[in-house]
Amino acid sequence: MTGTIGHIFLAASFIASIAAMIAYSYAAYSNNKKIERVSNWLWGTKGVTLLISSGILIYLIMTHQFQYYYVWNYTSLDLETQYLFSAFYGGQEGSFMLWIICSFVVGIGLIKWTRTPYKAPVMAVMALTQVFLLSMVVGWNFFGINIGASPFRTIAMEMPNAPFIQANPDFVPADGSGLNDLLKSPWMMIHPPIIFVGFAMMTVPFAFAIASLWTKTYHEWIKPALPWTLAANLSLLTAIFLGGYWAYETLSFGGYWAWDPVENASLVPWLIGTAGIHAMIIQRKSSRAHKASIFLSILAYIAIVYQTFLTRSGVLGEQSVHSFVDLGLYGQLLLFILVMTFLGIGFYLYRYRELPSPEKESTVLSREFMTFTGSMLLLIMGLVIIFGTSSPIIGRFFVDNPTPPEISFYNNWSMPIAIIMAFFTVIGQHLFWKRYTWESLAGILVVPLLLTSIASILSIILGDVRNIYYMVFIFAAWFAVFGNGAILFDLLKRKPKLIGGSLNHIGFGVLLLGIIASSVYTEPLLDQRAADYNARIAQGDVYDEEGFPVTQPVEMFELEIDRPKLINERWMVTYEGYEVSDSPRPGQQSYRVRFEPVDGGSPFYMDPVVYPMLTTSSRDNIEWSVDPHVRSGLLSDIYFYVAGSRYVANENERVERQNQLLPVSGNEEPQDDTQKVELTRGETVEAGDFSLSFVDFRPASEEHLPDNTQVGIRALIRVENISSGRAYEVEPLFAVYTEEGRSFTYSPGLAIDAWEMEVQFSRLIPEDESIELTINGTLEDFEEDWILVVAEIKPFVSVVWLGTFLLMGGFTISIFRHWSREKKTQENYSDDESEE
Amino acid sequence: MNIKLYLGIGAIVLFTSLLMYNFGNSIDTYVNFIEAEHRPSSHVVGVWDDSEEWGFSRERMQFSFHMKDEDGNVRRVVYPRPKPNNFEQATQLVVIGEMRNNTFYANDMLMKCPSKYNDASEIEFTSAEEG
Repeated sequence: MTGTIGHIFLAASFIASIAAMIAYSYAAYSNNKKIERVSNWLWGTKGVTLLISSGILIYLIMTHQFQYYYVWNYTSLDLETQYLFSAFYGGQEGSFMLWIICSFVVGIGLIKWTRTPYKAPVMAVMALTQVFLLSMVVGWNFFGINIGASPFRTIAMEMPNAPFIQANPDFVPADGSGLNDLLKSPWMMIHPPIIFVGFAMMTVPFAFAIASLWTKTYHEWIKPALPWTLAANLSLLTAIFLGGYWAYETLSFGGYWAWDPVENASLVPWLIGTAGIHAMIIQRKSSRAHKASIFLSILAYIAIVYQTFLTRSGVLGEQSVHSFVDLGLYGQLLLFILVMTFLGIGFYLYRYRELPSPEKESTVLSREFMTFTGSMLLLIMGLVIIFGTSSPIIGRFFVDNPTPPEISFYNNWSMPIAIIMAFFTVIGQHLFWKRYTWESLAGILVVPLLLTSIASILSIILGDVRNIYYMVFIFAAWFAVFGNGAILFDLLKRKPKLIGGSLNHIGFGVLLLGIIASSVYTEPLLDQRAADYNARIAQGDVYDEEGFPVTQPVEMFELEIDRPKLINERWMVTYEGYEVSDSPRPGQQSYRVRFEPVDGGSPFYMDPVVYPMLTTSSRDNIEWSVDPHVRSGLLSDIYFYVAGSRYVANENERVERQNQLLPVSGNEEPQDDTQKVELTRGETVEAGDFSLSFVDFRPASEEHLPDNTQVGIRALIRVENISSGRAYEVEPLFAVYTEEGRSFTYSPGLAIDAWEMEVQFSRLIPEDESIELTINGTLEDFEEDWILVVAEIKPFVSVVWLGTFLLMGGFTISIFRHWSREKKTQENYSDDESEE
Repeated sequence: MNIKLYLGIGAIVLFTSLLMYNFGNSIDTYVNFIEAEHRPSSHVVGVWDDSEEWGFSRERMQFSFHMKDEDGNVRRVVYPRPKPNNFEQATQLVVIGEMRNNTFYANDMLMKCPSKYNDASEIEFTSAEEG
């Protein structure tokens, strides 16, 4: 019932945005202020109904109404409140709603701040995008044609033919299937809102570009559009950073970037948006590049829609680890991208001849040419990535059934482009602030070049870089740092408010340095044996049982409990045991591994976690997931996870045994793990994989003895595991006491936790001073605790983050700068208006 | 003007053809195990055949299992790393590597899971009902 109300409000929101689109278009066409005001009200109605409907969805999630498919599919009773809330946008439908909410808020900002000639057409375009996005979740059915998938559909609607629905149409599941464990991360709670804020704001330059074509005012629009575009880029950058950080810290992906289609989906709009920003800046400064800034603003949004299409239509299903479920929206998404492309590019071509062109070409050594080149390089980079990501579509022109491109495809293109970009940033930035000839430019660059050479040579020597290509890359990156650093230094003295751009370009250089160091020079952590083995593989000296040379190096090692191993000739690494706890995830184990540097230095611990995935595990099949531990340092990170352990192996075995036994309904006796051993004082006996020594008797202290004790004594027992040499000493108690005239013995067992063993002093044989021990636990085929470790040392990941933060800082400064200028013009403008 | 235009067109043509060439070389087509025998590196799509022996060997430090490709050929696959996280959950596997003597040596392995965002299946529904 509540769901129906939500559904109705969603439909109302959809209708309101259609009405707003028509009204805004008419207002723009007729230049009618009154209709524009009506349209604003329609926009508000759209937003309010949408917010109510979202509120209802959140309410349904919070109150666990599992008859709704969305609630059932993404939440469960045991989910913490913050994740219940984030489950709202955990699925395809809810994430569309979040995107629309963000666009609504951006629209309110546009209504408030946009100048008159642009307001109505800009809002008309915004409303058009809303119509498409809302159509994805409206969930209507016209004559058998489905429009969108509503988050308010019930399980009965989702699968009407399921037997349990046929039997009982009002069936309500007792619990939901739960949010995927991997998404239960604070990073994942804030990542989607930030990315949708970015998507929503990137709609603004698109809308302004269309509005400029519509109103034929080709120059003014960039001034209000620029701060929005910068803000959109900052959002997308932050989202990319959070996604990368999540992949690195939480998933065992092994790194922060994998050229995965979904990652690319956020990178491409960022690259094209940045290209657009460069073009807008030329236009603002020099009244050139109108064509480019309109074109790139349109393209950045099309890139967002296209990447949405790729990740949400099911096209990439086989290629990406994390594309969305196919909701049957293929046709609608395709229509969305076609309309946006046709509207954008079509309108652009229609007006192309009218667009202003510069009267004379700019020279090579001018800020226009350099900035424009930067813009084109960013565009090319974006196009290459789109091309690679589209392999399921484009690849069909080459082969049937195409695979995704190799990672090297992306690297082969991005490396040279990055090198060229790095050089251009320095020359372009210098020219941006001052005119130079080739000679004067060379003069001013002497110092940065000198510093660059020193830094590069040091990096090459210290990092043992042997590849010439990498040397060039490192040189280019340092040049971007020092060349732009010189500009920053100069600007800080003169115009500190204008440092945004140079900070960004320094950040770019720093990012390149971090990327090359952390990706190319990542080394696996290995014990001596694996390192020797890998060296032999590299020489081609290892053959498998069939006589083929082995080519796959080992990238892991095993640790047995309390037996230190020398790793990478740098640390003595010791596995010290694990702890099982139920918080925050039931059944999770934290492993404790000690690293002790061999050259002195303070030891530290790594505590990676392994846990059963709740949502996908069942009684007869536990699925384990790992949570790597990353030890971040200024110079290098240690990335460490446990890929296997005795605990996990035992658990799996137990589950398997249970499965096999269940049908026989337990008529087999549980295994008897009890063994009795007799020992005289000083004797050692072997039992299974252990040796037991009775060292001596020990006196028993009063307080541990029962009342009326006649005999009370302890025995010092040393238990040693023969294969590992580990040993424990226990002093079990034996006592005889009387109660109501009868004698009783008291001999509690003592546990050796590490071996799940219990030692009991069960009998005293006074004749020959010997004792009987009862041992509870596995003695035969005993296995010491072990873990299998995958670990890497990644140099300078911190530098990647530093570069990202510099970029974020640069963008933030630029936003403030351009926004305050825009505010000033607006104030002047409204003064003019009131004078009229 | 004209020289610049020609240079621009030339650059675009060069860029596009280079991109096409490079892209064409870096993608491949999915094959089955039989076809993989004669190729240096292949992508094979299939499902895990859990009726055959599988598991991680601590002596050899490798994970091995049997996979049935889309044409029903079953082969042993050796993967030189621990068992991937969501291996059992995968509805489809893609192994990338080399076929040697009826054994596929995978350098990389992709798991297609029902969805990261929990796609529902009817089996799960029935168990929810029991619970």
